[in-house]
Amino acid sequence: MTAREQGERTAVLRVIKAGTDRQEMPRLREIDWSILMARAQDGDRDAYHRLLTDITPYLRALAAKRLRNSDDVEDAVQDTLLTVHAVRRTYDPARPFAPWLTTIAKRRIVDGLRVHGRTRRREVALDPIHDGVAEPQADIFHHERHLQAAVDNLPPAQQQALRLVKLQEMSLKEASEASGVSVAALKINVHRALKSLQKLFSDRTKP
Amino acid sequence: MIDTPALITALSADMSPVRRLKPPVLRAFGWLGCAAVLLMLLAVNRGIRPDLAERLQDAAFATSIAATIVTGMLAAIAAFLISLPDRSRLWLLLPLPSLAVWLSNVGYQCLTHWVVIGPESISPGEAMRCFSTLALTGMPLSLLLVVMLRYAAPLRPTAVAVTGSLAVGALTAAALSLFHTIDASAMILMWNIGTALLFAGIAAVFGPSTMGWVASRMN
Repeated sequence: MTAREQGERTAVLRVIKAGTDRQEMPRLREIDWSILMARAQDGDRDAYHRLLTDITPYLRALAAKRLRNSDDVEDAVQDTLLTVHAVRRTYDPARPFAPWLTTIAKRRIVDGLRVHGRTRRREVALDPIHDGVAEPQADIFHHERHLQAAVDNLPPAQQQALRLVKLQEMSLKEASEASGVSVAALKINVHRALKSLQKLFSDRTKP
Repeated sequence: MIDTPALITALSADMSPVRRLKPPVLRAFGWLGCAAVLLMLLAVNRGIRPDLAERLQDAAFATSIAATIVTGMLAAIAAFLISLPDRSRLWLLLPLPSLAVWLSNVGYQCLTHWVVIGPESISPGEAMRCFSTLALTGMPLSLLLVVMLRYAAPLRPTAVAVTGSLAVGALTAAALSLFHTIDASAMILMWNIGTALLFAGIAAVFGPSTMGWVASRMN
């Protein structure tokens, strides 16, 4: 066996050993958690704080396997922590901690999936297009100024007809009495005024 | 949404010492003890059926009663076991063999020896007495069980509620058979299978929410 081959062999052995060590870790950690929980049941707040902080990354990893959205994962983690808090009496320190915790976490993750499934069926994701509800106030005033200028450029008869019938909201008969113009002439003037304004604004909004 | 470290701090600050639950089988026997006391009180109050000694000679009747009581006991033990997060769900199967013996025995009796309802079997007075036994046994036992199993509310509420109600239903059916002269096959069917189904149905619909409510009130 050459020196190089021997070196490779040692490396392989080292890798296998490292793997075994990594598998041992959770068991040791679990015993730690079990002790922390037992102390927490007796009223040790620091132990409880450490336990909850320690299990959070594990819970997050467990939730991330089933849930994609990071907010959903965090929701599931927090729900699990709340359930652990609510049922902490049911843990028996003589038994392993991991199965107890994992059952609770899986239950909350499945609940999370159910809730999100229901939400997805009922709701639609918010697109930028849904934002375009109202334009800023300044724009409204801007448009009003343009409209006023456009009305001022109309022939005087059309201007008068438009003001009385559309802006002051008079009936044709009232407007006719107020202005001394016949109903038919008022009708024609309003119609022409609206048509020229429509043309003016549609030309302006065209790209 | 509150951030997780803040939640952990809040939970640790809120924490108070808790008493660990006793082993589940012990708690199940505690509940069964209460059930036995209740049944004895009812027996003293109502008197057992006059022909009980004679009926117990009948192998079919004796098997039926024994299977009913065993189903009640095993279902109670199963309910207490599966109410804990770290116990296998397979404990749900525990009461099934005796449940099969009980139900098949009732069915077998009906098939081989159908006793037609006689005029004395359908007296409204007896039906009311049967019903009051059902309520007097079933209600306190259900309430006690809901309180004792409230920790299962956030975990396996329906499975625990249905198994627990099977325990209540079986013991109530046993009480009915011991206290009342129910010999007509239709009556046996109704008071045995009907009782079991009634409790299981109520538990499946209302069990989880009731346990959740009790848990939120008592914790």
